[in-house]
Amino acid sequence: MHSHLRPNTHIALRLPSGILKILEIIPNTNISIGKYGTFPANLLLGRPYYLTFEISDKEDGKSKPELRVVPAAELHAEALGNDHATPAESRDEPPDGGVEFDIVGEDGEVIMRSNRLTVDDPSRQTLSMDEIEELKKAGAGSGKEIIAKIMASHMAIDEKTSFSLAKYTLRKSRKYLKRFTALPLDVGLLSEYVIEKESYKIMELREESLGLIGSWSNVHCADASRVLTAEDGISQIGGGRWLVVDDTGGLVTAALAEKMGILYPLEEDEEEVSEAEDGPQYNEQGEQAPTAEATARPQSDAQQTSSDTIMADANQTPNSKSSDPPPRPRKPPRQHIPQMSKQTNTLTVLHSNNQPNLSLLKYFGFDTGNPVSSHPLYHHLKSISWLQFMSPHDDPGYVEPEVVPDEVLATMKSSRRGNYYKKRRRWERTSRVIDETRRGGFDGLIVASAMEPTSILKECVPLLRGGGRVVVYSANVEPLVELSDYYSKERRAAYVARQENFPPTNGKQAKAEPQETNGVSADDEEEDFPVNPTLLLAPSLQTARARQWQVLPGRTHPMMTSRGGAEGYLFTATRVLPVEGKVEARGTFRGKKRKTGPDTAVLA
Amino acid sequence: MSQRPSPFLDPGAHSAQNELGILQLRRDHLIPAVLSANTDSDYAEGKVENTRFGSFPHSTLLNQPWGTQILASVVDTGSRGKSKKRKRERDDDGQETPEPKKEVVKDEIVKAATATSGFVHLVPPTPETWTLCLPHRTQVVYTPDYSYILQRLRVRPGDHIVEAGAGSGSFTHAAARAVFNGYQEGDNNANGLLDTNGPEQAAYPKKRRRRMGKVYSYEFHAPRATQLKAEIEEHGLSDIVTITNRDVYEDGFCLGSQEELNTSPDADVIFLDLPAPWLALKHLTRSPPSAAVVKSVTASSDSPTPDNDPSLSTSQPQPTSKPFRSPLNPKKPIRICTFSPCIEQVTKTVSAMRSLGWLEIGMAEVQSKRLEVRRERIGLQEEGLRGANPSAATVAEAVQRLRDVEDRAKAFHGLQKEKQEEVFRKAEAKKKGLNLDADGNVKAGKGGKKMIEGLPPSKQDRLDRAKRELENRNVYKEGRLVHRTEPELKTHTSYLVFAVLPREWTKEDEERARRGWG
Repeated sequence: MHSHLRPNTHIALRLPSGILKILEIIPNTNISIGKYGTFPANLLLGRPYYLTFEISDKEDGKSKPELRVVPAAELHAEALGNDHATPAESRDEPPDGGVEFDIVGEDGEVIMRSNRLTVDDPSRQTLSMDEIEELKKAGAGSGKEIIAKIMASHMAIDEKTSFSLAKYTLRKSRKYLKRFTALPLDVGLLSEYVIEKESYKIMELREESLGLIGSWSNVHCADASRVLTAEDGISQIGGGRWLVVDDTGGLVTAALAEKMGILYPLEEDEEEVSEAEDGPQYNEQGEQAPTAEATARPQSDAQQTSSDTIMADANQTPNSKSSDPPPRPRKPPRQHIPQMSKQTNTLTVLHSNNQPNLSLLKYFGFDTGNPVSSHPLYHHLKSISWLQFMSPHDDPGYVEPEVVPDEVLATMKSSRRGNYYKKRRRWERTSRVIDETRRGGFDGLIVASAMEPTSILKECVPLLRGGGRVVVYSANVEPLVELSDYYSKERRAAYVARQENFPPTNGKQAKAEPQETNGVSADDEEEDFPVNPTLLLAPSLQTARARQWQVLPGRTHPMMTSRGGAEGYLFTATRVLPVEGKVEARGTFRGKKRKTGPDTAVLA
Repeated sequence: MSQRPSPFLDPGAHSAQNELGILQLRRDHLIPAVLSANTDSDYAEGKVENTRFGSFPHSTLLNQPWGTQILASVVDTGSRGKSKKRKRERDDDGQETPEPKKEVVKDEIVKAATATSGFVHLVPPTPETWTLCLPHRTQVVYTPDYSYILQRLRVRPGDHIVEAGAGSGSFTHAAARAVFNGYQEGDNNANGLLDTNGPEQAAYPKKRRRRMGKVYSYEFHAPRATQLKAEIEEHGLSDIVTITNRDVYEDGFCLGSQEELNTSPDADVIFLDLPAPWLALKHLTRSPPSAAVVKSVTASSDSPTPDNDPSLSTSQPQPTSKPFRSPLNPKKPIRICTFSPCIEQVTKTVSAMRSLGWLEIGMAEVQSKRLEVRRERIGLQEEGLRGANPSAATVAEAVQRLRDVEDRAKAFHGLQKEKQEEVFRKAEAKKKGLNLDADGNVKAGKGGKKMIEGLPPSKQDRLDRAKRELENRNVYKEGRLVHRTEPELKTHTSYLVFAVLPREWTKEDEERARRGWG
């Protein structure tokens, strides 16, 4: 993916000012990037990413707008300033010494200027605002001439130190150069984009936090994973299924999906373009869904499909599973695989509204309100509301619509029949997802939610398999500090001690809350132990921040400013299966035998 | 084909024979163990992991659901050394030997008896747990760094990643997880998947196979490469990871036989954890770099570091002598990250990248910290108790304590005075005669008792009471909840230089695109 710009996808353009602009690139339209210019989208389509283009349009005497690829050497030369004009040139003299003094060579030539003579006065620029506007209107090749003129009319350009000159040039370039860089819109860039504009919408989730979430949740492509049945014969275990509570508009879901290889739609024309033998095939997996689940088409159809696929021509991607939109003329109808029906490599999103808010997925070609069946998320992303999860029978979607016999169905109007099938399919989907979710055995739980973390973990942790990972992200540390406290060693010890006295009747798999016993009211219990602290091992709290640096020859230092705001914290732990009954710890951490009872502190 | 999937990627429900399992003792104390029911061991119970929390025979660890809390067993660790000394002399590879030796195989291993205390948790291996317990050979790339690197490099399933300087292999494992997108078709059936459309898959010719994620790992140090290779094998990742013992400064990244390195790893992503990444960069180009560029790149490495020099002198003729083969994926933008602890390395790397046409060059360092959460108990009731601050919690408490001390002092002085007076009285009585003796004694005793009853408790009393009261306190929810950075703080790991090399875009390409899009 991202080998070149494809039509009707979202891309990001970075403007000279550093601002990102996200747009959908539609063939035969014009793209306007404000004061920097306008150009037809077709000039960009099919071109590779990460190139910087320069616009030359009518103002520059061209009949149609044109784009010129700015070579890397030119970009670097500008970034480095005049001293390092040609990047290939070897730099003999490292810039030694500070900027405090003029460094004068033996022949009296000034090698490096100090800022001793700098005059802080805007009037040193002799061109007035109007004159600059005039220049812009007159149109001068891609802004470079304007910059040259501005520089020429600066009275004291010679007095500038080389560093300040470079900075001055850069500043002017940012303002006047008619350039942009085409970037692929991926999760990292999207988070950068949203955080600049509406950081609260994604809980101020920075890229480093996204990385940590991905690693600690152990999320990965798990198409080949096995789904196993637990000893009780009902629960299932594993299969690369992750449970997600996402209040970031889908950013966390997108980041996880990216790591699972189900975020980007299959690029069907990949091979046509590449014409290579080993045409890269990304994203879609070879595993074919077991057809055990209810499928809308009869078996004979499926049979025909598979034979057709074998005969399929070379342009066809072998692994695309569904072909509804956009239909290719020669493609035979494929077997219909119902939405949310994959058993492995799936994300199950728990949401507190009727519909999940995963609006950011639209940038990756997936609209939860109107999903396209060719997108991998169509099969791999499951959504379930808290009501459906907690008490499915209160949800109308779980109630089976009545079955109409075939003969009656045949007499129905086609629209009614269609409605009937639609209802049936929706019910099948909903009940399948609910039942599967409640069977548990998830490989991990990822939470980035404004809800109270304990309330989520209380319900979700029991659904994890042993060894499953729990990751809770929070913009602020306080909720996670409280959460860590509910899993603290002392509380766990007290919980175990209490259980020894009043052993719970339910098994270890069940939500382990001891029943009301011996005057210990359930309320007390609930307040002190909102979650079962023995279910998680090694709870820890961490944060990370990437500090960006400027790396220019002789001018390497951390960036002077960066975004403040929420730091972003991560709670991680591992789901474990505690043994029932009394467990005594061993070890000599404190020189005394320590029971797992309440931290039996004794006199020092 | 019949190989089980790697426990890193799909651990299954239970721990299994000859697979890696991790014993988690404490949060940062993990022990890796390849579980085996092998009877070849010095112990009667078969293979045993001895930890500070007890001994754990593998028989108690095998076929357990992952995440299970395992109780320690009673294992006689004392007598084994003596009785088996002869055997140990004969082959000295210790108890971790994977292959059984027929002559010493015992018929059956003794069933382990559960000990009264001690436990561990058996968790499935992940790159994170492995990073915490791998055998250190070099500086390890820890989770905060590699997670950020993999995120920034946009590593996705199906990508090919080149890693040079494999080191201890922590990044290798994380990268393998990131690029993994299944096993080669045909292996699917071996994974126990009910593959309804199996024949269909087999019908596709080989070149139509989807691109499988790969890690190409290079290590200069031969013993380290061998060891890492063995680990990768043991972890079931050898389908994904290819380890090569290679000097990449000199020989670049293409694979193949020694004379003709003409198989390209087709890399999408590059991670260089090398002392001089700029020396490797000249091999990571799309077309042979011009002599001037190579000169400038290598010139920037004109450092007094001795181990750079040999490669410098020999690397010059190399690009011209062999047909050039780019190790990069020609169809995609290439992302790179170099991992260097020193700023000088960064400067050189960046200037080499500029010369070679890399774009979007940026440098960052990851500052991560872990927080500890605890309850800070302050107050006079904590006196003498562990893990709490026994100073006064409030002004009122402080005042009360001062009053108490004062009262006790007063009472004490009063007592002293009384005693003294009594002594005087007695002395006087002695002088006068012996008549008032008994009366005086009783009086003094009475007064003393009265004083002591109203007295604030003594220190010993207070300590005893605090200890007594602790039994009924819920310490886990008392005090103020605080958090702070953990005592051990990594303030600097390395500088991360990121860059992107776009696809090569020629005039012909542009012409084609222009025709295609009108």
